[in-house]
Amino acid sequence: MAGTKVSSRKLITTVLIYTALGIAMVWALLPIIWMVLSSLKTEANMFSMPPKFTFKPTFSTYAFMFTEGNFGGFLKNSMIAAFSSTAIALILGTLGGYALARGNYRRGKDIAFWIISTRMTPVAAAIVPLYIIFAKFHLIGTTFGLVFAYTTFNLPFALWMMMTFFAELPPDMEHAAMVDGATKFQAFYRIALPQVTPGLVATGILCLMFAWNDFAFASVFTSHENQTIPVAASLLVSQTGIAWGQAMATGTVIITPMLITGLAVRKYLVRGLSMGAVK
Amino acid sequence: MPQPQPKGAPSAGGRLARFFTTENMMLAPAMLVLASVSIFPFLYLIYASLMDFSLAIDNPTFAGFRNWLRLVKDPLIFQSWKVTIVYAVTGLGLELILGVGIALLLYAAPWGRNLFVTLWMLPIFVAPVVAGLLGWFLLNSSYGLYAWVLQQFGVHTDIFGTVATALPAVILIDVWEWTPLITLIVLSGLQSLPTEPLEAAEVDGATYWQKLRYIILPLSFRIIVVALLIRSMDIMRFIDTIFITTAGGPADSTKIIGLRLFDVAFRFMDIGFAAAIGLSMLVVTIFLGKAFIRVMYGRE
Amino acid sequence: MKKKLFAILSCLVILTLVLAGCGGEKAKDTAKEPAAQGKLVDGPFKKVEGLPAIQAPEGFDWKQFAGVELNVISENTPPSSAIAANIKEFEEATGIKVNIQQMDLGTLVQKVGLDFGAGSSKYHVIYADPYQVLAKYSSKFVDLNELEKDPTLPKIPGGLEDFIQSQLEIDGYMGSKDKLYALPYDCPTMVLAYRTDVMAKIKENFLKEKGFDPTPNPNMTWEQYYQVAEYINKHAAELGVKYGTGHQAKQYDSLMCDFSNILNAYGADYFENRDLGGIGAANPGKTALTTPEAIQAFEFYNKLLKIAHPGSKSWDWNGLAEAFAAGEVAMAPEWHEFASMFENPEKSKVAGKVAWTTLPKGPKRSANIFGGTGIGINANASEKEKKAAWLFLVWATSPQTQLMILESPVGGATPSRNSVYNVASVKKAMEDPTSEEAKKMPNLTSMKATLEAWKAENAYGRPKVPQWPQIDTIVFTELSKMLAGQQDPKTTAESISKQVDALTGN
Repeated sequence: MAGTKVSSRKLITTVLIYTALGIAMVWALLPIIWMVLSSLKTEANMFSMPPKFTFKPTFSTYAFMFTEGNFGGFLKNSMIAAFSSTAIALILGTLGGYALARGNYRRGKDIAFWIISTRMTPVAAAIVPLYIIFAKFHLIGTTFGLVFAYTTFNLPFALWMMMTFFAELPPDMEHAAMVDGATKFQAFYRIALPQVTPGLVATGILCLMFAWNDFAFASVFTSHENQTIPVAASLLVSQTGIAWGQAMATGTVIITPMLITGLAVRKYLVRGLSMGAVK
Repeated sequence: MPQPQPKGAPSAGGRLARFFTTENMMLAPAMLVLASVSIFPFLYLIYASLMDFSLAIDNPTFAGFRNWLRLVKDPLIFQSWKVTIVYAVTGLGLELILGVGIALLLYAAPWGRNLFVTLWMLPIFVAPVVAGLLGWFLLNSSYGLYAWVLQQFGVHTDIFGTVATALPAVILIDVWEWTPLITLIVLSGLQSLPTEPLEAAEVDGATYWQKLRYIILPLSFRIIVVALLIRSMDIMRFIDTIFITTAGGPADSTKIIGLRLFDVAFRFMDIGFAAAIGLSMLVVTIFLGKAFIRVMYGRE
Repeated sequence: MKKKLFAILSCLVILTLVLAGCGGEKAKDTAKEPAAQGKLVDGPFKKVEGLPAIQAPEGFDWKQFAGVELNVISENTPPSSAIAANIKEFEEATGIKVNIQQMDLGTLVQKVGLDFGAGSSKYHVIYADPYQVLAKYSSKFVDLNELEKDPTLPKIPGGLEDFIQSQLEIDGYMGSKDKLYALPYDCPTMVLAYRTDVMAKIKENFLKEKGFDPTPNPNMTWEQYYQVAEYINKHAAELGVKYGTGHQAKQYDSLMCDFSNILNAYGADYFENRDLGGIGAANPGKTALTTPEAIQAFEFYNKLLKIAHPGSKSWDWNGLAEAFAAGEVAMAPEWHEFASMFENPEKSKVAGKVAWTTLPKGPKRSANIFGGTGIGINANASEKEKKAAWLFLVWATSPQTQLMILESPVGGATPSRNSVYNVASVKKAMEDPTSEEAKKMPNLTSMKATLEAWKAENAYGRPKVPQWPQIDTIVFTELSKMLAGQQDPKTTAESISKQVDALTGN
């Protein structure tokens, strides 16, 4: 008797859990599904009221974007900027994060907070001084300049995350390696680093996301040649109307590479973040 | 506050050797880059906040503390802070509740966790500019899917054109995009919880709510604060979605301080005043961050 | 510790100052070739019957600036898309490389401001919005009179007289006519779009009931417009539209534009000084928004928006155009360049059912706000770049290029040149909206009304003062509060006056 009661209760709980998750998925995914569907519609179908759920898909918007619209180029620019700034942030952030975690700095916590606080400057306020520096060094409109600008928010983030990951790693194994004759750097490279790989991946994904999604910096620091996708998306709003078909297609294009990357490292992502901060 | 540890005075040579430690060498490149991208901008902002750029943008004149006084006196700034508080507190609150809630659901789900996580995190990869466009597209009263659904229920209000609905709408767009980030971080925390206390509680016949209240939440407290800290840093900085959907209106009801800063800096090119606003926002964020960190380590 | 910190800080400050001091290389003026005086020869460009050709002094070497790279920064408007699509003609004739960068106006203002602020010349040719760029930064632009007078350089084809004069005043000058900063480039103007099919349906009954023809025409008043809109609202279901009138009343620049039409039609203006709409002034003087006429205008606008499509309060000009194209509203004050969108069956359900006229009259007149812009040259550019930029300006604003823009499938903006409107095909398209020519140049369906709107008695230019971006913001924010029901029209007028006077120090 008691057994069936428990199992029926369990069943109800399970049903409730999946119902709630189902609602959450609809909330999260419906806009994206609608975006993808709309990108496959003709303009006339897109604006029909009531909305059309069945229609003959057309890829003409994509064809236009990748031939005349130069979206392939924008996609490439976005990738170069996002991936290189992420690489820089990860390399410097991992080295620095390890040093901060193991270095016994007297005001370690204050340094750590200063690092993360450099990421708090409002974007609009940060742009003016950065523009002055960039103009001096002729970096406006260059991809290098954009990567540099992205480093301003990705490096502190990576440093801080990596510091947390290393800090929760017990140092015993590194000590043992050093007793066996390894240098401090070898201990870091051979022992500590492999253990935080999941954290490194997770940090990388989030850095990638921050750079990938950026509009404010890219709109100021790029020129037509090295424009990124969010900037190209903003250009679809012009003085004579919004190119909705292209806007929806841009949205689809913008999530695809990130979706692939996300899928590829999904397991690391969930595991990786779990290492941070929870000591 | 960490106390400086007293150390013996080293000799000159020792000091040099101490400076070139492996740690310092590893830290140096990051610190150099960070210093170069943050110290000049910071000093420049302080300098600019004391200058008046309104007459000649490339030849500012000294303004004393006028910009800072305007910051206190300008009722529009005050108004924007009010909107910001509502926007940030409601947005962060919803993201926290929903984010943690979904994380707990996923944690409790017997199967399909990875699939759900993957789908659930998709919105964070939609760039905020596109999220704004998408929000507008869905809520537009002439052709929006959501507007149409609302109209079926007899709601014909123009969402972005009405004071009562514009702010909730932009908050919901933010919640849509960023709740998954909170979920992701919190879920990873949940997954690394030690299993012993939970098993012990199970043996003692604890209900789920008891386990949640006394074991799960206290143990994942710190990761939740980390998630909140990351989000709270960005919620004031980023204005892309509001910029595209309502541009601050109607009747200033969605003009958060970041948007006001953008106006002052780049529409009015009043760089001095913008610097003062920017610095004040920085101070607020730093205090907020400090508070979060104190809460986080307060439980040690 | 503190001392050390101080030392580091001062080092940094010094470093910064040093960095700020150096840089800014001077470009050398290269070989000025002797030019023959007097005689002008046609340049290597396409010629069009009936339009003045692009000419240069005899012996002028069109390729002398070959290799120069020009950055052109422009709002993403139809003419710039058309120019970008046809830039080969200019590049091949001159050897100059042109990078056209298009963006929304807000980003443009931001980039140009930052560039001027940093004292650099990242952009050589600048889309000089009269209110947000020119009024503020006129000293940063080259005086084009000097280039026009230079005997070694090409001349403006057809001379300055061929530009529409009121536009030349707004786009080109600031404060006085001593210096010319920009040449007219595009010319959107607000006129009234309405649905002919809806008007035909209601005409008979409306005439019986109200005693006047509901079809918008140059003599209709705003009060009559209100009645027509109200009538259509009542019969919306049977007419197949949702509302009589739609507006661009989002808390944004568009709201100020929409309101200005009515303000000025009622005989009021923003400032006591009524001459700010043309060449502009550095200080506008006192506001004049609390006069009885102005208050009347505020009251009417508030009343009108109460019966307008509720979406109006979230629409800028794009939102309004989409709603009009979707067939939601029967009448809308809108920029005339949207005509091509309305006539495009792919984007519009109302193609072939749209007609245009000047905006209704107030007690004083019909006022149609002008929103055109000129292009100018950055004064920080090198001498060589300036001259190359001049070549570009001459070409881009020439009648031939303006005609090309009009005909371009990616562009379709209307010309800022008198002579183009005398070309036979253009005339025909304006006269006969069903002709082949009109189908090729759909923008011209609104052009007859627009040419009317450009006449002095109907044209309205908003005040051109350096503080305009702030004033604009105050105006549209307070208006938005009024439309949201948070304050009455009188309070709104007073609040705007108070804030604007405080801003300008009057």
